[in-house]
Amino acid sequence: MSEFSTMVSDKGDVSIIYLKGYLDAHTAPALENTFASLIDKGRYSTVVNFKDLAYISSAGLGVFMAFIEKMRENKGDIKLTNMTDKVYNIFDLLGFPLLYEIFKTEDEALTKFNEIKKSEK
Amino acid sequence: MKANLLHLRKNSRFRLFIGIVTALFFYKIFLIKNESLVTSFIGELLILCTIITLTFYLTEIIRSRKINPLSVVLNIGILNAVLFFIITFSGDLLSGLFGNIEAKLNRPGLFFSIILFAYVLFVIVSVSYIFLSFRELFYFKQKRNVSVYFNTMVVFFVLASLTTILDSNADLSFISNTFLIVSIILVSINSIRISWIAFIIKKEKISLLILSVIISALFIVNLVNSNDANSHTKLLSAYSPALSKFLQIILIYGAVYFSVLFFTTLFHIPTAEAFDRKAQEVSSLQFFSKLITRVLDFSELGETVADLAIRICNAHSAWVIWNDGGELKTLSYKNIGYVDAELITNFFLSTKRKGDINSTVTLNLAKIENRESLNEKYNQASVSPLKTHNEIKGYLITLKKDDQIFDEEDKNALDTFADYASVAFENSRLLEESIEKERMERELDVAREIQRKILPSQNPYYKGILISSVFIPAFEVGGDYYDFFNISQNKMGFVIADVSGKGISAAFIMAEMKGVFESLSHTISSPKNILVKANHILKNSLDKKSFISAAYGVIDLDDGVLTLARAGHCPVLLIRNGNVERLRPSGIGLGLDFTANFEMQLDEIKIELNENDLLILYTDGITEAKNSEMEDFGENHFEKILIENADHDLDIISNKVIKEITLFSTNNSQHDDISLVILKWKKQFIKNESGSLPGLNKMEKKNVGI
Repeated sequence: MSEFSTMVSDKGDVSIIYLKGYLDAHTAPALENTFASLIDKGRYSTVVNFKDLAYISSAGLGVFMAFIEKMRENKGDIKLTNMTDKVYNIFDLLGFPLLYEIFKTEDEALTKFNEIKKSEK
Repeated sequence: MKANLLHLRKNSRFRLFIGIVTALFFYKIFLIKNESLVTSFIGELLILCTIITLTFYLTEIIRSRKINPLSVVLNIGILNAVLFFIITFSGDLLSGLFGNIEAKLNRPGLFFSIILFAYVLFVIVSVSYIFLSFRELFYFKQKRNVSVYFNTMVVFFVLASLTTILDSNADLSFISNTFLIVSIILVSINSIRISWIAFIIKKEKISLLILSVIISALFIVNLVNSNDANSHTKLLSAYSPALSKFLQIILIYGAVYFSVLFFTTLFHIPTAEAFDRKAQEVSSLQFFSKLITRVLDFSELGETVADLAIRICNAHSAWVIWNDGGELKTLSYKNIGYVDAELITNFFLSTKRKGDINSTVTLNLAKIENRESLNEKYNQASVSPLKTHNEIKGYLITLKKDDQIFDEEDKNALDTFADYASVAFENSRLLEESIEKERMERELDVAREIQRKILPSQNPYYKGILISSVFIPAFEVGGDYYDFFNISQNKMGFVIADVSGKGISAAFIMAEMKGVFESLSHTISSPKNILVKANHILKNSLDKKSFISAAYGVIDLDDGVLTLARAGHCPVLLIRNGNVERLRPSGIGLGLDFTANFEMQLDEIKIELNENDLLILYTDGITEAKNSEMEDFGENHFEKILIENADHDLDIISNKVIKEITLFSTNNSQHDDISLVILKWKKQFIKNESGSLPGLNKMEKKNVGI
């Protein structure tokens, strides 16, 4: 039942994480590992694409909380995109939209990252 | 008690023996001159009785020891050697003492009689002991009940011995001779029954071979000597012809028995090693199958397996490697250094055969790379797969040194053994797993107990408000929490919350939360401020990954005004006139944001309640209950049931909800706690004096299995 997988693809300085399946207490460690290895590589700008995610539990939400601080300290961020209504509703109830930037598409998130980069220059 | 009895019996036998010997002594000394057939017959009978009582006495002594055929053989040998010296030198010794023996026999003095008697007594003891030893050997490891063979033989021994007194009449000597011949035939038949030889190990067989040659030679020499007309024969046959005959028969028995023993042993020697190994194998396997049920520790089991593997195939060293979550670990080394074992293991793993061996294979270690770095020059290794459910879980590796190789029999033995070992390892693993599971379940029991104590044990009564609540814990304990607070005469507070995470950690956070809300509700009146403060306090106990969704409300019991704030929790539902309103003021979950942003984003709303308004507090265990297709129960489904049943008693409404969830999620387990609290604003309702509620079934929090 608990099938979950992540896939990472790099677009410039930004890493895009694709989630698939059910993200709960049992599968959360897989996503934790993905974030941890990105941090090891010094890649702090990430976009998480929720297109194929069927379900997220509170333990799944906790993963983002665990890494957001580290990313932001290093001038990066975790931006969330392509959520289904159901998944968005869960994020919304908890007030995540007040803490994270959530976009409809990957491109919007990437544009946002690039704007910040330009403004820094 | 029993030992004492035995001792007494032994004593009485000894006394009987002494009595008979004394009788014999006096009889012989005083009546020997009368040489009639009757007197000599009585004399022979007395000697026979002496032998019989002695054998009874000696049997006790021999039986009380543990019988080892080799030591019995050795005893016979020693006694036989003593007998040899006595027979050979008795003539010279006695002649030196008494001069002409024949003359002395006719006119014996008292001293001579005593010496003679002692001499005869010694022969009696020796013969009896040898005879008994033969009897022990005969019965040792005998498969069938063969006492009839032995007893018949003994009867003929006695007959042949006793009838010798008739030999003085030459016409009757054929009687004793016939008995003698029958005895010899029976001796030959009985001497073939040497089944015990198969049960001794090769080393013992070799020493037995040498012993049997010497002993049979001694018997033959003694036999020849006692047939000669030397002084020993003369003495003995003069004293008791029957005893002399009996001695001869025993000597014949010995000569035949040990000759047969020699050849039997000789033929057994070539197969001795194979037999030894089979016996070793069987005992190892027996030992091991016992061990399977006893050894629970994994590495201890590894040690034992390696130990027994060495014994089974006569190997020099052995070790076990085990696949522990994708990584091969060595469990034990026996008679080999770590470095050598690693080298050989890696050599094996580099060969192609690694993945798909079904049975024991051998490796030629001559081909190993950097063979010179091995501390010892091993020649051949065998590798046996340890499999459970057709999956290779590990390997048992054994080594032989020098020129020794693993033959087919070794491989078969190792195969059998590896099967046993796999079962043992699997058992041990399952046990470890179940211990871990049990520990977890106990932990969950504790968590459930904490949760049960934290939640209100029954619904409180407030002026103007009806309350019903249901709580159903999930197997893993989800961390749901709800509570009611009696703030003041005209104010009641309520909270519903859900801790992220499960089990004991969630239960502890719940416990802390109860304390936090209990105290804050009495000091702060605004729900918003209570949640802000709670967020601040809980900062220390929540780790980065944990958070709490909560909703806190206060109802003014005088005017029915609800003040509500929500920190990331499911909306509070207001059912009014058949419609649902989701009360969902803005707010971030507790523990997600500790900055001022938390307070900024938190809204507080006020709503005036109408008569018969329902307030529904719930956790996402309801809306996210799943069916077998992993579909959610859903908010709409939930709200529909609430609207349809809004006019019923509160308990009926909650029962209906739970029933629908149960039906929906049949065939699927409950993932999360389910909490449902229903409040009804009914201004006219005032608790009557007795405290019971008319027309309302008090519904206590109960565990309804889903």
